Amino acid sequence: MKRRHFFSGAATAVAAASVGRAALAALPEIPQHGSADTAVPPAPPTGRPFRPVVTLNGWSLPWRMNAGVKEFHLVAEPVVREFAPGFVAHLWGYNGQSPGPTIEVVEGDRVRIFVTNRLPEHTSVHWHGQRLPNGMDGVSGLNQPAIPAGKTFVYEFTARRPGTFMYHPHADEMTQMAMGLMGLWITHPRLDARGRHPLIATADRDYAFLLNAFAVEAGTRTPRVNEMTDFNIWAWNSRVFPGISPLVARRGERVRVRVGNLTMTNHPIHIHGHEFEVTGTDGGAVPPGARWPEVTTDIAVGQMRQIEFVADEPGDWAVHCHKSHHTMGAMGHDVPTMIGVDHRGLVAKIQKIVPDYMVMGERGMADMGAMEMPLPENTLPMMTGTGPYGPLEMGGMFSVLKVREHLAAGDWRDPGDYVQPPGTQAWEWQGAAADLPPAPAAPAASTAPQAGAATVRKPGPGGTGHAH
Amino acid sequence: MTAPRTAAWGALAAALLLAGCASVSPDGLRSQVQTLADGRSAGVAAPALPSADPAARARADAAIVQWLAGPLAADDAVRIALLRNPGLQARLAALGVADAQRVQALTLPNPTLTLGRFRSGHEREIERTLGLGLIDLVTLPWRTRWQGQQMEQATLDAAQDVVRLAFDTRRAWLRAVAAEQVAATQERMHEAADAGAELARRMARVGNWSRLQQAREQALWADSAAQLARARLDAATEREQLSRLMGLWGPAAHYTLPDRLPNLPVEPEASEGIEARALRERLDVRAARLELDRVADTEGFAGVAPWAGGIGLAYTRNTTTEQDTGHADVKRGWEVELAVPLFDWGGAARSQARGRTLQSAAQLQDVALRARSEARTAWLGYRTAYDLARQQRDAVVPLRRFISEETTLRYNGMLASVWQMLAEARASSQAVANALQAQRDFWLAEADLQRALAGTSGGASSAVASTALPGAAAGRAANPESQGH
Repeated sequence: MKRRHFFSGAATAVAAASVGRAALAALPEIPQHGSADTAVPPAPPTGRPFRPVVTLNGWSLPWRMNAGVKEFHLVAEPVVREFAPGFVAHLWGYNGQSPGPTIEVVEGDRVRIFVTNRLPEHTSVHWHGQRLPNGMDGVSGLNQPAIPAGKTFVYEFTARRPGTFMYHPHADEMTQMAMGLMGLWITHPRLDARGRHPLIATADRDYAFLLNAFAVEAGTRTPRVNEMTDFNIWAWNSRVFPGISPLVARRGERVRVRVGNLTMTNHPIHIHGHEFEVTGTDGGAVPPGARWPEVTTDIAVGQMRQIEFVADEPGDWAVHCHKSHHTMGAMGHDVPTMIGVDHRGLVAKIQKIVPDYMVMGERGMADMGAMEMPLPENTLPMMTGTGPYGPLEMGGMFSVLKVREHLAAGDWRDPGDYVQPPGTQAWEWQGAAADLPPAPAAPAASTAPQAGAATVRKPGPGGTGHAH
Repeated sequence: MTAPRTAAWGALAAALLLAGCASVSPDGLRSQVQTLADGRSAGVAAPALPSADPAARARADAAIVQWLAGPLAADDAVRIALLRNPGLQARLAALGVADAQRVQALTLPNPTLTLGRFRSGHEREIERTLGLGLIDLVTLPWRTRWQGQQMEQATLDAAQDVVRLAFDTRRAWLRAVAAEQVAATQERMHEAADAGAELARRMARVGNWSRLQQAREQALWADSAAQLARARLDAATEREQLSRLMGLWGPAAHYTLPDRLPNLPVEPEASEGIEARALRERLDVRAARLELDRVADTEGFAGVAPWAGGIGLAYTRNTTTEQDTGHADVKRGWEVELAVPLFDWGGAARSQARGRTLQSAAQLQDVALRARSEARTAWLGYRTAYDLARQQRDAVVPLRRFISEETTLRYNGMLASVWQMLAEARASSQAVANALQAQRDFWLAEADLQRALAGTSGGASSAVASTALPGAAAGRAANPESQGH
């Protein structure tokens, strides 16, 4: 992960704007970000000091100080976002990326945000979870007129309470969020003289990401904005496995992960190998007495969770949404189950008509993890990614927590695959089957199932889509 | 006395000479028919017609065996039909009969020799009269011309039958080849449905699918089985039709057809000058024009014929012998017989002839009108068929193929089911079948255009009674009467 110079794209962005140069002369410049790689922000050059968060596959928005006010400039505009190598989408975002850059301020900061609208329709920005004057809440029609295409509006308020927040449009909200318009907002706590906060611990590694979902048909590039439930791209920060950066920590470091949910369903986020506590929500810090250990926390729609743990188990640990369909890439929800269907004698017959036909799903879908077959353009295999021991058979909301013994404090780079110490990995039994301890059988049922009828299934729901 | 005698004998000799000239055509006018049909025989240059000569027949049989050995080309099918079609053979034989009848009609009646022996009281009379009906002799040059014209017309009619048979055979060949190909694509479609139905059965067997889901695939299978049966019947029927036109049966009918139709031409023919060409080259127009000439030619004579009909010339030599004296007296003389135009001055006959001329003129106009109209219609059909075939080949089939390939890619990614993939493969095969039919329709339209421009109207000949092909050219429907020229 490399440090990025945030201002490189500014000049071209201004020139390309539909907003006039003169009108923007008094505005802060518009930082642009041109890559989907994680950009670790520098220490704050101005204003109160804080330890910046690392936005997975994202970046933090630079600001300028103007008479004690932190000024940011967000530009809502169409962007091209790479979800993973081989799959890009035409989205709407802020300052060149979806989600937009993370805005980081410190409790008590006076903040002025210029919002320029380069979308084809009006927009607004709602500062989700913030205490602010009613006229700054960003619900178009209710709190303010919408920002017309080509115009710039100014939001100004004081970041009153520390915590993890989001920002997103509140004008044509469904469409604009379905197109990827959203971002993170972190208000860092004001620390006492000893550099501490009574409820908010200092984290060595502070990661943040938004959960977002899209409906992008195979072979297309633009999300279907009118989808309500049947999404197929389950993303973190508009990024899918294997495109999501790993979460890196040195052994013993305190790790904080901030997760916000802007999809239309809940996501049980699960971390392997460690217990964690939910130390905060978008409502603020959770009092220590109200915290309890977890390995999975459900993040409901429109919620944020701040998870903390000490990364004390070295290794490569999976971090993922526990809804198994959310660790899948685009797949056909109407494709019937082929498991157990005898294909003998039919393959050659079908190949006469469709020469490229191959049997799939006869034994399960694991073939999909390893098979390299031509797919429609701009489409990822539904499960992919390879580790040191083979295909991961994962997609979507999946990443890896990489805990290592020796890692420099500021080193956020991917340390590579973990090598387990000898004798600490599952191994294949090499002895005779007879030497295996007996596997106790289940007590005999009163009515023995007939051969071939072993799998009696209850009728499932009639719908075609699965509930995510 | 010498001069008239010489003149009489001279006239007789001239008449006999004339009558002798009207001889039967040795090949029954087949070479004339062949010349007329050349360039109009569905694109086949100088096809041979069945010959009376055994050596030529043997050569033709050998050629037919050779043509039938490989995949049968369209031109060879036409050649075989012209040599073997029994209807055409009957038609040509009838033409030979008509020619003999013409010669018969031009033969002068034999002179009559009347002998008489009469006795009176004292003398015996022996009468010898050589009589000759002059009317046939006098009208011989005209009748020779008219009979010639009539034969020319009969030849034209026969040539039109040759042309029709050639085009019908070409059309039958196109339909037979296309039907076989379509049946092959139906075969593929059925295989796809078959695989889908079998897989569905196995799905239901292990409980992955309900009987309802299986039944849907089963229904597709049943549909495609019926379609395949129809396609096979179609192929057999079209082939049978072709065999019939070629006059083939038994082992000779076990020929193979090529597995594809000729490609579409790069550029379709332009419509410039098609009407002029039809008027210039069509045999039915030519026949109608000839008919008008002939009828007009006879018109002038018609009024004269009734009272000029009885002209006769006789030479008499009577010998009268006195019984007593034995003195013989010889009496010689000429006798001319003429009808007296007392009642029939030929007015009715003239009206009749005039009416006939008018009728023929109107018929010529009708034929010419039809020729122009058929040329335009045929060209329009040809051009539209070309565009449709091009569109099927260049747009629809590639699109269907693309859809099929993309669906396969979606199957690869488990985004689509194997049944969706098979359904697209079926749709793709159907598009190929449609394109084949469009290609066939183009070549049928092309044959219709060529016939409409250079040959004749599309009516089936009465002699070469070929069963009307289904979906035949519009030209045929517009012209139910085949021999009305």
